[in-house]
Amino acid sequence: MKMPKRRRLAIAAAVTVLICGGCGKERDLSPSGYAGAELPQPKPKPAFVLTSMHGGSFDFRRETDGFLTLLFFGYTNCPDVCPVQMSNLAAALDRLPSDLSRRVRVVFVTTDPARDTPARLRQWLGAFAPSFVGLTGTPEQLTRAQLDAGLPPAVQASIGDSATARDYTVGHAAQIIAYTPDNLERVHYPSGTRQQDWAHDIPLLLQRDRQ
Amino acid sequence: MTWWCSATGQTWTWAWRPYPGVWLFVACLAAGYWALAWRGTGRAPGFGVAGLLLVWVLLDWPIGALGAGYLVSVHAVQFLLLAFVVPPLLYAGVSAERWGWLEERIGRGRALLVITHPVVAGAGFNAIVVTTHLPSVVDGLMARQFGAFAVDFAWLLGGLLFWWPVLAPFPARAGGALAKIGYLFVGSLVHTALGMWLLLSRFPVYGIFELAPPLGGRSAVVDQGIAGGLMELIGGLIIITSIAVVFFQWVRREEAERLVHR
Repeated sequence: MKMPKRRRLAIAAAVTVLICGGCGKERDLSPSGYAGAELPQPKPKPAFVLTSMHGGSFDFRRETDGFLTLLFFGYTNCPDVCPVQMSNLAAALDRLPSDLSRRVRVVFVTTDPARDTPARLRQWLGAFAPSFVGLTGTPEQLTRAQLDAGLPPAVQASIGDSATARDYTVGHAAQIIAYTPDNLERVHYPSGTRQQDWAHDIPLLLQRDRQ
Repeated sequence: MTWWCSATGQTWTWAWRPYPGVWLFVACLAAGYWALAWRGTGRAPGFGVAGLLLVWVLLDWPIGALGAGYLVSVHAVQFLLLAFVVPPLLYAGVSAERWGWLEERIGRGRALLVITHPVVAGAGFNAIVVTTHLPSVVDGLMARQFGAFAVDFAWLLGGLLFWWPVLAPFPARAGGALAKIGYLFVGSLVHTALGMWLLLSRFPVYGIFELAPPLGGRSAVVDQGIAGGLMELIGGLIIITSIAVVFFQWVRREEAERLVHR
């Protein structure tokens, strides 16, 4: 039995739509066109001073003034979220034109000061991008910085029964906070943000320059 | 209980994990293969056993788990071997006697005639290849055990379909060796294009591999480039070798016939 031509065309069209629909998932964008989660109201950039991985103090607000600043709280022994976030961000920055990427500051603040020494931060972040800045401090300073950034403070959790003093994970906020060059917090990038999202958003975020 | 390897998002460890679904699948496949290709012949088909073992190795821990949710390069190797190596091994393990037995039972069926027609088999196989490499399909299916099973099974089934017109002795069709060579060449274009796409993409195309806990110390894009390169290299090598085998078998046959007629 031969299928009517109209039905064959309809099936072919349906298959084409299905296949093409699957080719590229539509990105859900915020009202301002960001792939990240846009805040309803921008907030001012927090001011905190911590210790740089190169030694010396790092005044977050002053050192990042006028840059698109991407702030992340994590730890170098993190098995999943931290390396994926840093790796994807580094890869996306690497593919941007240098006149854009040099206007971006990535700041990684440790939530595990006992194990994340300045040397360890330098080694770990250097594997992603030499321009990434690592910060540490006393537990109190780090808790204060997280609260100032509007995040819940990180908590330690031991691993199984064989936990030792140096054998634990750290539960921490998984998002990267974006402060545009006008020093306002505008967008959050949760765990699961892809390189394409960064490549889409960074040029847009850089347009929010100081008037 | 985890039955089948799928993307879990958990950090990779080298601690062995059981996947009973894989064992069950391989056992069923072996039983079916024994019934169709082996029973009554009195000897184990070496190629067939190699094909079954390869299926097991590709789907079970660690390769199955690595390819399902960590490294797209391992995922590509699974695809290449399940679709391009396992089916020829399984077909090569079937004795002439069993091919005759199969022909008696299914050789004249209209359905077999249709689905093993080179146009249908080639189109069907390439539709499976394209569909199972779409980012939305991979990201959607590989995160679920049944979805990952569907992808693996589709590759094996598609491979069996693709290789039938080349390796099965029936149904007899006109065209001979040159038609088979043309079929193999055209049939390899889609996976070659897919390999090129993976090789040249600026960003990782599959979210599950991009966002998986890192493994092996290389970035998602580099691993994706390796996957694309393997698809070009291994896939191309398999197709070129197959074309060469078909060609030289044809030359040898022609030569033998010429000697007989002299």
